[in-house]
Amino acid sequence: MKGNMTRGWIGASLAAIAMVGLGASAPVLAQNAAGPTSQDIVNDASTPGDVISYGLGPQAQRFSALTTLNASNVKKLVPAFASSLGGEKQRGQESQPLVYDGTIYVTGSYSRVFAFDSRTGEKKWEYDARLPDGIMPCCDVVNRGAAIHGDKIIFATLDAHLIALNRHTGKVIWNKTIADYQAGYSATAAPLIVNDMVVFGNSGGEFGITGAIQARDVNTGELIWERPTIEGNIGTLHGQPNGMTGKLNATWVGDQWKTGGGATWLGGTYDPDTNLIYMGTGNPGPWNSHLRPGDNLYTSSTLAIDPATGVIKWHYQTTPHDGWDFDGVNEFIPFDATINGKAMKLGAKADRNGYFFVLDRTTGKFVSANKFVLQTTWADGYNAKTGRPNFIDANRPGAPEGAEKGKSVFASPSFLGGKNWMPMAHSKQTGLFYIPSNDWGMDIWNEPIAYKKGAAYLGAEFTIRPIAPDHIGALRAMDPTTGKIVWEYKNKAPLWGGVLTTAGNLVFTGTPEGYLKAFDAKTGEELWKFQTGSGVVGSPITWVQDGEQYVAVMSGWGGAVPLWGGEVAKTFKEISQGGSLWVFKLPKEAAGN
Amino acid sequence: MSMNERPSRRAVIAGLSALGLGCALKSGPASAAPLAKVKADGVLRVAVYQDNRPWSWSDGGNLRGIDVDLGKALAESLGVRADVVEFPAADDLNADLRNVVWRGGLLGFRPCDVMLHVPFDRQLMVENDQVAVISPYYREGFAMVCGNEQTDCEVPPSQFKGKRLAAETGTVSDAYLLGSFGGVLRSDVHHFGTGYAAVAAVGTDKADVALATRAQVEAAQADHPAAAIRRRRGPIPALVTPGWDIGMAVKENSRSLGDALEESVARMIADGRLAALFKAHGVEWHAALAG
Repeated sequence: MKGNMTRGWIGASLAAIAMVGLGASAPVLAQNAAGPTSQDIVNDASTPGDVISYGLGPQAQRFSALTTLNASNVKKLVPAFASSLGGEKQRGQESQPLVYDGTIYVTGSYSRVFAFDSRTGEKKWEYDARLPDGIMPCCDVVNRGAAIHGDKIIFATLDAHLIALNRHTGKVIWNKTIADYQAGYSATAAPLIVNDMVVFGNSGGEFGITGAIQARDVNTGELIWERPTIEGNIGTLHGQPNGMTGKLNATWVGDQWKTGGGATWLGGTYDPDTNLIYMGTGNPGPWNSHLRPGDNLYTSSTLAIDPATGVIKWHYQTTPHDGWDFDGVNEFIPFDATINGKAMKLGAKADRNGYFFVLDRTTGKFVSANKFVLQTTWADGYNAKTGRPNFIDANRPGAPEGAEKGKSVFASPSFLGGKNWMPMAHSKQTGLFYIPSNDWGMDIWNEPIAYKKGAAYLGAEFTIRPIAPDHIGALRAMDPTTGKIVWEYKNKAPLWGGVLTTAGNLVFTGTPEGYLKAFDAKTGEELWKFQTGSGVVGSPITWVQDGEQYVAVMSGWGGAVPLWGGEVAKTFKEISQGGSLWVFKLPKEAAGN
Repeated sequence: MSMNERPSRRAVIAGLSALGLGCALKSGPASAAPLAKVKADGVLRVAVYQDNRPWSWSDGGNLRGIDVDLGKALAESLGVRADVVEFPAADDLNADLRNVVWRGGLLGFRPCDVMLHVPFDRQLMVENDQVAVISPYYREGFAMVCGNEQTDCEVPPSQFKGKRLAAETGTVSDAYLLGSFGGVLRSDVHHFGTGYAAVAAVGTDKADVALATRAQVEAAQADHPAAAIRRRRGPIPALVTPGWDIGMAVKENSRSLGDALEESVARMIADGRLAALFKAHGVEWHAALAG
């Protein structure tokens, strides 16, 4: 299938150009008032005239087969327009735009959605969720994107609602509470559409929550199934109990599984080929790992879930018994490759813990794990037979002794991760993964007392610091078949934006310094950059419109990084906030091929 | 943890200078204005924690509790109306002080004139030089209780093995039960959302032993007079802290307001009103050590 797709894409691209030639008012391809179906979303990667899913296809490879814009002409990429999100609400813009039927849909900070004309940049409508002023979000007021289906744009809010808007008017069609914000739950991920369902994870505070994944009817918002991520908890299907997650007390002691963590705050990917949803889970609580012996399943794991029932088909735990806050939520991207002469259905995940995992996506079986950051102090690789890390026990933070703090260790990566939320990309052309990574470490120790809610609680303390003199951020090209880094681009400030790659031998990503940059996908040579006026922490997209290739990205510095001080802050303290959609295009006359 | 990129942990304490700690308030250019503004507006905006019984909790939409009553008494002493508002606890005190006292919430929560229930802790003061932590008004501690099943509450806690032990998730009480005595009690710990709920569970025979703060224990005992919630008289061995002082926080440059509040609290202590205010919630008042 992979072999033919390139031809299919080129064909579609030519068709789009031909139609535009027929008349200026001709609708683009099959886009019409009915809007995209679930099948259209499955095919998103092969319809270059639109972007109708988070990740340019439910596999989220973030790969475009377009070649009009390529390594030899990217220098001629120019701004087409910029559209401000307006108002005083700026902060982090971590969203990925969608493009459909002449409209760019993008979410903004503070749970807002905007529809802009994709040719002029004029605003068609804006929706501002009414948020209770008593929410105190832990990690900025970001949103990572919307989903589109039929006549709806669907997105999640900071007060843990899922809202479906009419994509023509911005008016609410349905609005569902997915969790109780007063209990500390929030929502920032882009929803995933699978078989006419909205699939969504949860996010929440440190203690007292357990992760869960929900599937809701895309037309009504009604719950179809829910799957808790921690063993011992019971899932539901159509309102009825549908079996326990894992086995009670297999890897948790006592009733700690009731409050074990494992939030699924980054959402998931879907592979039509295996018909599985892949979701990553957060780390366990409490931080002091000595109080919760066991692997603590299924925290810091990837879960493969049957979309029809919400049943877990397999799991792989990237950090068993986490003690460093190595959340395992990162995206698992399906891809196919030949390993040791054998064609395999694989998936890859670049984890907070600094390792790049390749698994058999049909079974979850471990294939390889290779370091993608400068240093991993907590483990020395993975055992290929068991798929478990070779822990370095001396580098696990110690338990507090009486009133004394626990042994402090230096850990790399830091808890912000070798890679944080920002999605990587996989090129079908080069076969490489492009990982937006960061080289930083932390001193970490467990405190016997940390004040919270006016009282004495448990706590962990962290001091993050760079580990290299010249950079924190590093965009790295990883060969998934060998585990080797093919090239890297170093950036002074931490990288915090998503990546896009194209068959034009290009890789795009943004920097906190404000640039959207383009690199040669094979060599890493920097080919183009544009200063957007604020830090870029969103995920770029590309599409073809009126015969020209476009690129779009959000600009607006924020997210979790600016909340941290110390040495790391020196790399970004001069960066101003913002809130704009930037759109670029390669003019027809510059395409020249 | 989870969670999100969770910055809520205490960040690096960069560029610390040993600035005036303790009760001493630094004077600033705007120092006289805050009290005058409170009086001119006729209202004192007081922040209390959400879901923090017996200090502050919502009872069918009405805020109740020791801190709620204290906030009203403070406003009254200044001759103004009280606007007592609740807020959700963040992952640590630094975030609470930022959200509630000196900056305000990102989603429009307006900074308050004073936040109650702030631990009177040196490290906390050092890390938060935008606020002044003042007027410690209670000495908090821990208490253990037993119910019908556990008739002898004075045994070494390791002998509670096999009983249903209750604590609030993530607290020092929780850590004590999970981690002490080589972890022998770990599988017996039942987790509750609040310390008050953990103690109340003993009163309703849903737990045999609970460990919580002293105020939570006394209030739950008072609220369940018919239940056999018996308090351990002897010490709780090897607890990491005997307790801490609780004070309040104002903006660092609110010297005039801070001074006035300290005077009000001192008068309430002297004439017994503060102790009476606690007693109305079943809690015995204990003077702060730093007072």
